[in-house]
Amino acid sequence: MSAALRITNLVKRFGGLVATDNLSFDVEDGQSVGLIGPNGAGKTTVFAQIMGEHRQTSGSIELYGREISSDSTPERIRRGVSRTYQVPRPFTDMNVLENIRVGLMPNNIWQMITAKPRYQQETEIALSVGFTETDLQKTPGELAMGDLRKLEMARTIATGTKVMLLDEVFAGLTVAEIAQITVLIQQMRQDGMTFLIVSHDLKALEPLVDKVIAINYGSKIAEGSFNEVLNDEAVRSSYLGAA
Amino acid sequence: MNLRLTHFLMWLAFIALMFAIPEFVSKGTLRTLIFANFLAIFAISWDVLSGRTGYISFGHPFLIGIGAYTSAILTKRFDVPIELAIPAAVAMTMVGGVVVFLPALRIKGSYFALVTLAFMELMYQLVQVIRPDLTGGTRGMSGVQTLTRGAVNGYYLSVSLMLAVALSMWLLMRTQLGTALSAVGMNEESVRGSGLSVTKLKLFAFLTSAFVAGLGGAFYVHYLGSIAPRALFDINFLFTIIVAALIGGASTIIGPVIGAFFLTFLLEYLRPYLPGAERYFIYGMIALLLYMYEPKGLIAIFSKGWQRLRGGAGSEQSSAS
Amino acid sequence: MQIIIQGLLLSGLYALIAMGFTLIFSVGRVLNLAYGAYLLIGGYVYFTISQTLGVPKLIGLFIAAIVGCMVGLLKYRLLVKPLKGNHVAVEISTLILAVVLQAGVVFIYGDSSKILLPIVAGVTQVAGASVTYNLLAATMASWTILIGLYFFVRKTHVGRAMQAVSMDTRGASISGVDPDKINMFTWGLSGALGATAGVFFASYTQLSPSMWVAPLIISVAVVIVGGIGSIIGTLIVAHIVGFMEVLAVAVIAPELRGVFTMLLIIGVLVVRPQGLFGREEL
Ligand SMILES: Nc1ncnc2c1ncn2[C@@H]1O[C@H](COP(=O)(O)OP(=O)(O)OP(=O)(O)O)[C@@H](O)[C@H]1O
Ligand SMILES: [Mg+2]
Repeated sequence: MSAALRITNLVKRFGGLVATDNLSFDVEDGQSVGLIGPNGAGKTTVFAQIMGEHRQTSGSIELYGREISSDSTPERIRRGVSRTYQVPRPFTDMNVLENIRVGLMPNNIWQMITAKPRYQQETEIALSVGFTETDLQKTPGELAMGDLRKLEMARTIATGTKVMLLDEVFAGLTVAEIAQITVLIQQMRQDGMTFLIVSHDLKALEPLVDKVIAINYGSKIAEGSFNEVLNDEAVRSSYLGAA
Repeated sequence: MNLRLTHFLMWLAFIALMFAIPEFVSKGTLRTLIFANFLAIFAISWDVLSGRTGYISFGHPFLIGIGAYTSAILTKRFDVPIELAIPAAVAMTMVGGVVVFLPALRIKGSYFALVTLAFMELMYQLVQVIRPDLTGGTRGMSGVQTLTRGAVNGYYLSVSLMLAVALSMWLLMRTQLGTALSAVGMNEESVRGSGLSVTKLKLFAFLTSAFVAGLGGAFYVHYLGSIAPRALFDINFLFTIIVAALIGGASTIIGPVIGAFFLTFLLEYLRPYLPGAERYFIYGMIALLLYMYEPKGLIAIFSKGWQRLRGGAGSEQSSAS
Repeated sequence: MQIIIQGLLLSGLYALIAMGFTLIFSVGRVLNLAYGAYLLIGGYVYFTISQTLGVPKLIGLFIAAIVGCMVGLLKYRLLVKPLKGNHVAVEISTLILAVVLQAGVVFIYGDSSKILLPIVAGVTQVAGASVTYNLLAATMASWTILIGLYFFVRKTHVGRAMQAVSMDTRGASISGVDPDKINMFTWGLSGALGATAGVFFASYTQLSPSMWVAPLIISVAVVIVGGIGSIIGTLIVAHIVGFMEVLAVAVIAPELRGVFTMLLIIGVLVVRPQGLFGREEL
């Protein structure tokens, strides 16, 4: 069977800069894959291409065996892939439930007018990512960083995604928040979600991934189990070089 | 839709109040109120687009002008009956809305505001030179057919139109669509990242705004009976519309209505004390200070005051939006 | 020939008008919609000082520039700074301010427009075209100021700090430049430039309370089309706009003078939002 997400010979140039350099990898259905690399390696750019926020220069992106390169972002989301952002981007004047509501909405003006919000589902999603009842009416300004990351994930879940791309989920979090998000991701893995996770915090990433892909200057330098990749000579020197 | 009985009662009280007004005030005041009604319609139209989606339009008179001119030209030059001219004018304005929408596909923020300003200036200059036999050129047109005679009838017509627009926009904005449009104003990328087509939402906002602007513009010209380019495509007119929406409270429906009435009456009540141009000076200063003090508008000031009155007990938001 | 000379002169004036607007847009990253009001103030202050009180013209021009500078500083302190970061709010409040100032002028000077006597009287013939010394003086002043500004920005300490702030506010403040001071300075400078341009503009057209709109639109066109904050771009596009206007008047119809400017703004913003000449440097 075909992979949930298959990237083949992906290239992205920004002017003279090659941000993604002939990158290929697979993420199997239900698998959880880590994507690592030093600052500026091009991880976020890969996400942006998968979501269609940037068009790739060449190469293909397949979701469940179907080429999605010519689809718009909302179309890709409907096909089951969705991402979170390195810097959370909530709707600042809306509370937690309303933020999730936007993710749940049908992409159809008429239905937006006629259909009622699915209040129960909003609440269920909010609670499932670890919000408490009292959090539900809070606006993003009143939430801590960990909560904002949860809100990003909640909105992503609300779109009904099957493949979730998480960009730097652990950045800026306290130890307790990291633990909470770890439990959350483990839970979703058991429920069958497919993950591609970018993280600088390798210790936090370790228990969450079946395999790791390391990139530098946009091209793949290693792929394998967490330990294999971390012990790889090229990976070690790329991190040292960046540090 | 999330409608509550209190909302229903508040609207009922508001409508009853508006319809009772002619019993209590003079004809002169009524004329002022008519202008306030039209200003409220224009401010709502501006707000549907700019207050919600954050695409600030500095060219709303462009849309209003299309509606007004189309209907005036059709009735006066081609003897089209008014019942047909107004829908045609609204349709024409919606075409104008699409024209304004096109740049919004690529640019936003200050750049978009400037393009719309350029649209307004362009329209101002073109109206005077292209087919002056139709548009009346620099002098505009007078003797346009009017719909009503006398202040009382004019008031009833304008207030009905204003209430119909306000109520239907209010209902529309309380649906999920309203939420989605506001979301576009807060963060366009996240709306796309939530799986919604931002282009569709924006187009809808532009068309709705143009619909209301065209309707208001057409009825306005058939109330005034005349039209002049300098009065219409004018920064001062634009200023009044934007300030009405902002002073009242952007991104609400009742806000622009309150703002329109506040501004109109401020201007009217300054008249006895300051007969000349100083009036506009004071009026502008008040608008500026109010805006600097509370960018969310009068409605935010009222609802804060109300909450303080209730001892901050009710945590319920006053959701007149 | 007449067209070329007319075009050059008008373009010089337009470049001067647009310069102060460019400075604010590139350093402060805000659209100052009240920019046209500096021209208004400059024109009327000069009118009062020189024409009503009979003070020598150069002093009148100087005082107009000082007043413009002070208005710029006040605007920055009272309006722009408190609204920090909120561009929409700055734009809307400057728009309101412009309307307020216009009303203020009507209040003091009345509604009707006034003729400003030429700053430099006299007419000469250049290659068969009649040229007023006044417009010639405006163009020369404009070129002097532009060249001065160009070297000021490149060669002086303050000028380089302005460049730094325009490129990256946070980076500049890390490297020891106080963006607030530089912003203050730029607003003051922009006000002085605007007021000076206003005197020349008013003597070219006439003095009226609504004279701020046209220069604002011209500035917007020049700045947008030229690319934000590019002095060279400003200069080039001022000439494009100036020549288009002169051509439209001479070849097509005087009423259409502004139409092409509008079409240019719309076209460029939609097709190439970064302007024809990019937006990188001051
Ligand atoms: N829109 C863009 N235009 C030009 N260059 C870009 C753009 N986006 C990213 N880049 C460049 O592409 C490279 C990869 O950036 P990217 O953000 O994908 O890296 P990253 O691995 O996510 O880094 P980080 O760990 O800092 O998040 C960088 O050199 C960056 O400067
Ligand atoms: Mg990144």
